[in-house]
Amino acid sequence: MEKYLYVALFAPVVGSLFSLLFTAKKKNVITALVTSALLLLSFVSSLTLMFAVHDGLTLHVKLMDWISAGNLNIPFGFMVDNVSVIMMVTVTLVSSVVNIYSMGYMMHDKGYNRFFTYISAFVFAMLVLVMSDNFVGLFIGWEGVGLCSYLLIGFWYEKDTASWAGNEAFIMNRVADLGMLMGLFLIYWQFGTFDYETIFAHAGSMNVSVVATIGLLLFIGAMGKSAQFPFHTWLADAMEGPTPVSALIHAATMVTAGVYLVIRASDLFSLIPEVGHIIATLGAFVAVFAASMALVHRDLKKIIAYSTLSQLGYMFVAAGLGAYWIALFHLMTHAFFKSLLFLGAGNIMHAMDDELDIKKMGGLFKVMPYTAILMAVASFALCGVYPFAGFFSKDKILEAAFNGSNFYIWFALFIGAGMTAFYSFRLIMLVFFGDKVYKKLGFHPHETYPFVLWSLLPLGILSTIAGFFEKPFEAFVTRVLSKYEFSLSHSTEVELIFLTSAFVILVIVATIYKYYKGGFSKQIETMPLYILLKNQYYIPKLYEVAIFKPYYVLSRFAWKQIDVRIIDFSVDLIAKVFYKSGQESRKMQSGNLSDMLRWMIVGTVVLLALAIFYRPMM
Amino acid sequence: MITLTHYLTLTGILFSLGIVGVLRRKNLLMLFFSTEILLNAVNIGFAAVSKYYGDLSGQIFSFFIIAIAASEVAVGLGLLVLWYKRSGTIDLDSLQMMKG
Amino acid sequence: MEHILSLIVFFPLVAVFFGFIVSKESAKTFGVTVALVEFLLSIVLWIGFDKSNAGFQFVEYVPLISQFGVSYYLGVDGISLFLVILSTFMTLVSLISLNIKKDIKNLVITILFLEMTLVGVFLSLDMILFYIFWELSLIPMLYIIGAWGSGQRIYAAIKFFLYTFAGSALMLVGILYLGYQYYIATGTWSFSIPDWYLLVLPFSTQLWLFGAFFLAFAVKVPMFPFHTWLPYAHGQAPTVGSILLAAVMLKMGTYAFIRFSLPLFPDASVYFLYPVAIIAIIMVIYASMVAYAQEDMKQVIAYSSISHMGIIVLGTFAMNAEGITGAIFLMLSHGIVSGALFMLVGVIYDRRHTKMISEFGGLATIMPRYAAIFGVVMMAAVGLPLTVGFVGEFLSLLGFYRVNWFMTLLAGTGIILGAVYMLVLFKRAFFGKLVKAENKALKDLDKREFTALIPLVALVVVLGVYPKPILNTIDISVKKMIVLMEKKAVLPDTRELLLRVNSVGGTK
Repeated sequence: MEKYLYVALFAPVVGSLFSLLFTAKKKNVITALVTSALLLLSFVSSLTLMFAVHDGLTLHVKLMDWISAGNLNIPFGFMVDNVSVIMMVTVTLVSSVVNIYSMGYMMHDKGYNRFFTYISAFVFAMLVLVMSDNFVGLFIGWEGVGLCSYLLIGFWYEKDTASWAGNEAFIMNRVADLGMLMGLFLIYWQFGTFDYETIFAHAGSMNVSVVATIGLLLFIGAMGKSAQFPFHTWLADAMEGPTPVSALIHAATMVTAGVYLVIRASDLFSLIPEVGHIIATLGAFVAVFAASMALVHRDLKKIIAYSTLSQLGYMFVAAGLGAYWIALFHLMTHAFFKSLLFLGAGNIMHAMDDELDIKKMGGLFKVMPYTAILMAVASFALCGVYPFAGFFSKDKILEAAFNGSNFYIWFALFIGAGMTAFYSFRLIMLVFFGDKVYKKLGFHPHETYPFVLWSLLPLGILSTIAGFFEKPFEAFVTRVLSKYEFSLSHSTEVELIFLTSAFVILVIVATIYKYYKGGFSKQIETMPLYILLKNQYYIPKLYEVAIFKPYYVLSRFAWKQIDVRIIDFSVDLIAKVFYKSGQESRKMQSGNLSDMLRWMIVGTVVLLALAIFYRPMM
Repeated sequence: MITLTHYLTLTGILFSLGIVGVLRRKNLLMLFFSTEILLNAVNIGFAAVSKYYGDLSGQIFSFFIIAIAASEVAVGLGLLVLWYKRSGTIDLDSLQMMKG
Repeated sequence: MEHILSLIVFFPLVAVFFGFIVSKESAKTFGVTVALVEFLLSIVLWIGFDKSNAGFQFVEYVPLISQFGVSYYLGVDGISLFLVILSTFMTLVSLISLNIKKDIKNLVITILFLEMTLVGVFLSLDMILFYIFWELSLIPMLYIIGAWGSGQRIYAAIKFFLYTFAGSALMLVGILYLGYQYYIATGTWSFSIPDWYLLVLPFSTQLWLFGAFFLAFAVKVPMFPFHTWLPYAHGQAPTVGSILLAAVMLKMGTYAFIRFSLPLFPDASVYFLYPVAIIAIIMVIYASMVAYAQEDMKQVIAYSSISHMGIIVLGTFAMNAEGITGAIFLMLSHGIVSGALFMLVGVIYDRRHTKMISEFGGLATIMPRYAAIFGVVMMAAVGLPLTVGFVGEFLSLLGFYRVNWFMTLLAGTGIILGAVYMLVLFKRAFFGKLVKAENKALKDLDKREFTALIPLVALVVVLGVYPKPILNTIDISVKKMIVLMEKKAVLPDTRELLLRVNSVGGTK
């Protein structure tokens, strides 16, 4: 079985290196084909592993030692267990689909070969992240996906906004990574190792406050990667990247790494429910906060990005409340329908010549029906309508919140679900139905290549049916993760499900009706709340004014004033004192004999004075 | 009674005169005179102190100084004449070839 | 193998004499050949090195002035071995990258002479010998900056020379005083470092001596606020000068901390731990900020060196095996990375004769290979895992965490601020549209530049993925040194701290 592990892990890196050879050359379909084949191979291996794990296998391999110094020893160790294999399958599946999809999407891009290099490299990093058996290994993948995300956001590097967004993503993640690094350091000095098994085995005997500190620090790292408040601004800006990238990295896989970290370290987090509560509260806040921004946005991709943020909030609620398997389940279903949504949006962008303003579309159903259907499926799944996948995973999260008597969290999620329903169908309505605004603007949309649509089909199917695997999924992952006991009575449960579903469906119907009738009037755009939401609560502006600009000014000050004016000046001053005194005393050497004689006399007097008055200390 | 103090006072006065001459005079010849006065001031001092202590070495030292002064004047005057022939002046300010 | 150290030290010197008769055209070839042989010799040294022996190996001892205990004393251990290899390697690479035409013969001779002094510094076990090499290394660098530099080269060269020279003057006094202390304690004179290691000094003496040595090392590192010579030196030096200065010469200071300050004055080192750490943190943050504000590419990298050296100092003063090993590894990795970065800036400077960032933009379009290599090296500079930059930085910070978590947090901001100035530099130079007409005809890397850069890039990756052989060799010597420090400590506090920072577990 080990060979499947190695194949799953290293097939993408082979693909990446292969297409790396072509990066400086002209577009070559072979790069896309080879990387797709290798990603599929990786997917198949992961699937094989999943069945093996299902039969009770747990793989644990040590490739080689990496860092060792002092008492520290970090190996390249990988393990495949019930949790990581789920992630492997999800990641390789979505990435295979995205890779095949991109063959169509990137068809005319001059960075074609480069794109596939990055995508495969990303998959490798992501697999390292999920498969590592220690925290530093996870950190390798963590930074690796960050790098690939940076490269892919700034893929169209000639666009200033794209490279800016790449920098923002990388740097903001770095801020959070510092927290994570501190957590790692603390782990090492407490446990003497980074190995998951050892740490989790000894965590129970540790001081709770220490474990809580570790948990918080790790969570700071998770917040950065999963773009939780206040690190959320990079995700919306990351939409500058090509759309398949948004689907793969900024919806399905990388951004969920933070959730994965919490799930992976569930043995730590379950010891510290207080920290879990903080996580859940923040998650609930983000779920509403992000959804509210999605309500008014006109940018197709940014709406979906905020929706992703909101869904990540849901996952953190589940993870924070100790319902780890539910978080993982939602992570998986979300990966399917959200990447589908993004890829559908990619089709629209392609058809609309990269136009993103949804108010400029409308009535696209006629020209691209398949895309419309797929996106509708994804939206239903996202909203949690029965029988789509989101219904099962998202409802469980709400239930868990209710179950823990965290009613305000439950209420936030409930409101969030309503918002989700609204913005999803606002998007669908504005894009696919209503007036054909695009005609006035001179666009000529068309449906994309058939093979691209076919490649989306697996995601469409999974978005529809994945929910029915809830029970087997639970049985599968709770072999590793702790079970989550529901103490609600059956009737309450049913009532809850009914309440949420009814609310969601009501909102959907209302939204469809409202937009069918022509939508909201222009006046709404002048409302303060609308403007606040439209400007994303002014948080990006705040960062700009309060952090970026002052930092630059301060840096200039440090250089021009402190470094040059003070430090270097005082150094030069010392040199100048010597130089000047030399300059001045040089005048003594006027060459005039009588001057010299005068100085001679002065010298004599000084020496005489010294001889008379100086008494050496004894 | 002329005591040692008187001699030393005379020495002091002569020495000061010599110093002032060295400092103020621009004529090389005058400079030589001043130097001679300085040396002779010291000579008087040596002789007086020698007498006072009854130690002859002071007076011997004076002789040495007289000899050195004589040779110095001999060499110095020779150079001076040479310099006068070359530059036509014995003003001190004309001697600035070594200016740094 | 008996005299391999003498061979390594003096082979370049011998070559220098032959260098005078080599014709001008073949001077570069000659230099590369000599540097290659020298590099191979250092590799032979590594192969012959006994990894399980923590002490000094290949020791050569010839008394010179026996009544004063001055001797010709060479030896190598895990701490110095890789710095020697780094010196020979970087000299080789910088010679390969050389494309100056003016007075090439003199330049090659100067570089080879510099190589001798650098290797000599790392191999000397006699303090007088060490001092001689230490000061001798200034002369070729003065010459390189002064003769082949640009703009204010004379000012920069003299500033560099006088500043470092003034710093070392106090060290000489310290050396003599320490020799005298040894004489008082044992009745014989000795300047040999292994002898001095056995000398237990009273606390107050340690404090004074630590101060005297500290100034010399601090100027060399360079530590805040003694750093201002560095931007000038880098700004005016030719590429080859910058490479050697950043890659090897700065390491002399941090090496000396590990070789002398810590084991000779353990109590004083612990006593000054926090002040030094604060300076190191200021270096990290302040230099990162100043680097961010720069308009000149080369200055960005010059200031980034100061920032990284701050982490090295911090790791050194972590006083545990993790931190010190990490610091030494970071010296190597910074040598490789900063050398590569200076070389990369040199590439663009050769083409455009300007280093101003605003002159560029969109270079990734016209010079994709150059951009790719720059990108890889940049990622190493910001400490991405699986590149060489991560290992040392991680270990240094990890080590210091045991001493003080808050200071580690502050120093850790270096990984953020480092990303800020590096990525912004990269964005401004390489991304965006290619607008400047002068840039549109730029050529991508040529064969000479590739030959020089590829080994560096390969090392960046290889050592990032598999640093273990190097770490192990360093580690064993470092552990021995820590044991020595513990034995020599005269204050109980020192021993307590050393024990604490070198043990895992327990709540803090």
